[in-house]
Amino acid sequence: MRNPAGKTILYIAVSVGALVMIFPFIWTVVTSISPGASLTTTPELIPDNPSLAPYAELFQRVPFGQVIVNSLVIAVVSTVFQLITSSMAAYVFARMPFRGRGAIFLLYLATMMIPFQVLIVPLFVEMKSLGLINTYAGAILPTIASAFGVFLLRQAIGTVPYELDQAATLDGAGHFRVFFQIVLPLVRPALATLAVFGFLNTWNSFLWPLIILRDPLMQTLPVALASLQGQYSTQWDVLMAGSVISILPMFALYVFAQKYIVQGVAGTGLK
Amino acid sequence: MAIANVRPDLASPDRRSPRGGARPRQNRRRWAYAGTVAIFLLPSLIPLLAFVIGPMISAAWTSLHEWNLIGDMKWVGFDNYAHLLSDPGTQQAFLHTVYYIVGYLPLVYVGGLSLALALNSKLKGRALLRGVYFLPVVTSWVVVALVWRWLLNPSVGVVNYVLGLVGIDGPGWWTDPAWSMPSIILASAWKDLGFVMVILLAGLQTINQDLYEAAEIDGAGWWRRLFSITMPMLSPSTFFVIVLSLINGFQVFDQVYVMTGGGPNNSSQVVVQQVYDLTFRYGQAGMASALSWLLFLVILVVTLVQFYGQKKWVNYA
Amino acid sequence: MKKSLVALVALAAVAAVGLAGCSSSGGSAGGKTTVTYSNFISNGGNEKNLQAIVDAFEKANPDIAVKVTTTDYANYFTKLQTDLSAGTQSDVFDVDAGSYATYAADGVLAPLDGVDASTYRTSVLDTYKTDGKQYGLPTSFSNVVLFYNKELFDKAGVAYPTKDWTWADEKAAAEKLTDKAAGVWGDYQPISYNEYYKAVQQAGGAFLSEDGKKAAFDDKAGTAAADWIAGKSGTVMPTAADGAGTADFDTNLFKDGKLAMWHTGIWMFSTLGDLPFGWDVQVEPGDTQKASATFSNAVVISKDAKDKAAAQKWADYLTSSKEMVDVRLKAGWELPAISDDSLLKPYLTAGAPANRQAVFDSLENVAVAPQLGANSQKIQDDVTNALGEIAAGRQKTADAIPSAADQVTALLK
Repeated sequence: MRNPAGKTILYIAVSVGALVMIFPFIWTVVTSISPGASLTTTPELIPDNPSLAPYAELFQRVPFGQVIVNSLVIAVVSTVFQLITSSMAAYVFARMPFRGRGAIFLLYLATMMIPFQVLIVPLFVEMKSLGLINTYAGAILPTIASAFGVFLLRQAIGTVPYELDQAATLDGAGHFRVFFQIVLPLVRPALATLAVFGFLNTWNSFLWPLIILRDPLMQTLPVALASLQGQYSTQWDVLMAGSVISILPMFALYVFAQKYIVQGVAGTGLK
Repeated sequence: MAIANVRPDLASPDRRSPRGGARPRQNRRRWAYAGTVAIFLLPSLIPLLAFVIGPMISAAWTSLHEWNLIGDMKWVGFDNYAHLLSDPGTQQAFLHTVYYIVGYLPLVYVGGLSLALALNSKLKGRALLRGVYFLPVVTSWVVVALVWRWLLNPSVGVVNYVLGLVGIDGPGWWTDPAWSMPSIILASAWKDLGFVMVILLAGLQTINQDLYEAAEIDGAGWWRRLFSITMPMLSPSTFFVIVLSLINGFQVFDQVYVMTGGGPNNSSQVVVQQVYDLTFRYGQAGMASALSWLLFLVILVVTLVQFYGQKKWVNYA
Repeated sequence: MKKSLVALVALAAVAAVGLAGCSSSGGSAGGKTTVTYSNFISNGGNEKNLQAIVDAFEKANPDIAVKVTTTDYANYFTKLQTDLSAGTQSDVFDVDAGSYATYAADGVLAPLDGVDASTYRTSVLDTYKTDGKQYGLPTSFSNVVLFYNKELFDKAGVAYPTKDWTWADEKAAAEKLTDKAAGVWGDYQPISYNEYYKAVQQAGGAFLSEDGKKAAFDDKAGTAAADWIAGKSGTVMPTAADGAGTADFDTNLFKDGKLAMWHTGIWMFSTLGDLPFGWDVQVEPGDTQKASATFSNAVVISKDAKDKAAAQKWADYLTSSKEMVDVRLKAGWELPAISDDSLLKPYLTAGAPANRQAVFDSLENVAVAPQLGANSQKIQDDVTNALGEIAAGRQKTADAIPSAADQVTALLK
């Protein structure tokens, strides 16, 4: 953009927007260091007597170290599997035609079209017969395949110019080599995006871990935080402390993934 | 596909052979191809079949019964479906859901696109800004809902205060049946802006910069470049955002549950809220399953229409 | 790129294999019986107190181990229903008065033998009796009383509420105490089904007919009750638009010293604690008669429990042992539903409020909780909805109440 005035206006607009975006997070952080604060009154952006007491109480009330380990293990393993299974399936849907391929892709999409609330009970019964109740595997298995990931990567692979595949096959490459050496490196932004959102979904997942993990030491973060909400009242300061801690790894992952999502456009291989 | 011209052994074999009779090499290639497809597909297909499709079929079976989750299931055939189709409460829930989508989708797409474009250009501190805009996406709905209820508070909220400065009498927002859904729409679009931004940013990265240089040389202005190059090249990502937003929009639940619980006076009741209530609060799992399958059919049709239509506007490489 | 990918796949495979075996061990350990117990009553601050009771029980019964699972109230029943569906429910589990009927009707509870009825408060114990058989033992009870801010009363020169107050007295005081300009409100009462069925009885009517098959609040008493509850909004208490009805709104209002009178439960005693202004409680006023809403929680035993005798031993201990009473009273953790008032004496002098006797006085006139059947939740939602519409001025009482009554009658099975 060579118009300086336009650039300034853009800058202002984007910054104001950013303030609006960051406001609830600031409120969360401030509440988490204000003992006795409540989220239901007018927010005070400057804490009266800031203290880390809510965090101390959080660690006392909830076996926090163990809970974070549980959440991390489940989210990381799930995300890794999603990356692998989704990219492989996406390759087929973008590059390997066969009769009925469209129908199977639709089947994948269909798995996103039914509300999870109605699948919980049959899925739970299934897990019971597999003996996977209260296990990491039970929490992870339903998440290792992601139709969202397949869809996202199919679109991404679709943008990779076909000539690149052809050039590789002319050199004698089979599908596996084309997939690993040509296609995958070129869809790194999409892979990084899937990593972020796959992790986000599993990290914040509530209903399934609530049902499948029974032992307090197996609980994940969102479930442990829900236990801070009493029948009649909620300790907002402690809950917000938990929310802040919950947001941090997510945010760290996002910042780390930014490098890949926004890689420099140093050509697309045609040069 | 073009590949058949270059490497016939990598293509799905042509069933017609010039001479009749067995062609063992052809068959072997056919099996090798099928095997490769299987290896690529099965790691995701098997879990999806086992953990989603299986339960879906089970839910379909349940939808033909009356069941409170505990006792025996009582066969009722299609009664549940008949009841739902004629129930005004269900029709209202579908209408509200569509209302949500119609309001939410344009807002979140245009907003997300603007952000992606702005933060893709060489703006100082754009990495930080990208992070900030993503924060609402990772924040839980419990916090976001409370923030927006406070912002939209009819008497002490910031929004009505600002409106008052310009002489507009702000509405009752989430306490007013006419404004409850718009309140949810606003909060949802705000929260998901970062998500759309990230998807579109990734898409923008894959656009070949040579195209822009060529266009500038030809004297195309900013607006023209947006509509002739950016939008068409971004169409796969746009398609993705729209299809996904529609699939998720029809199943909107978390924010409704936390912001208004479906009220006031059922004015923001959506389909999945009803599914949840029927399953876990009213003890009618059969009816809930039937409603889920009705919703599924609606989403399926809408998605199919989009997939058939994509040929008209989505450009793949 | 290839190397790192291979490493990634290997890592994932190893993790998967390792995790398949990762679980917490369950079942009984040599000679000992394990009784599983899932609860919501200890969630939100009393987990350690429950553990103290468990420890004491295990000490007295060395051959029984109790395994506790705790869930927050809001999600407890989702988990319970899923468990019952798959057959993975605990041996002993919590229910509350509202949900008990559903589970008893579903036939998932084991009848309890040899229960000494004299140990418990009759009215609370009977809540968990069906067809002459006892299915549940009450763990605690609570009721709703009138809280009041002494300082605000002093400032306005109004006499404190007494046991003999009626609606008229309450209304007069509330109007005098409300000062909108200063942001002070006279009287907060939640606009919900739970307040309504009790108010109908306070006005001399009944929510359901004698046989329980029809709604009976479409009459003078029911209308008066609706006006009483919905009429407060905007006059002596904030409106829904102001935030009334949202989580903790009323608690914060009272704690900030901006609310003179407040209808809420005795569970608030420990949350409020000592406040800068003096506060106390009184029995809720009635109109033609008094009727106080009483709630309770109970434990039941699953029909599929392996060792029912051991399970009942635990249930007994949790609901009537002296150790349990001591723990509860010391921690201020709700009132056990035992009949021996002498054991509960420490409760009366356990700190603010001073007039804790009101809790027991309220038990003299208990509001009968209507049996709503399988559609209980829907009926409650519909009534709360109707009251909300009246309070917001979108519907007139004369229209909303008959319409709600019709809805309720249709939902009664």
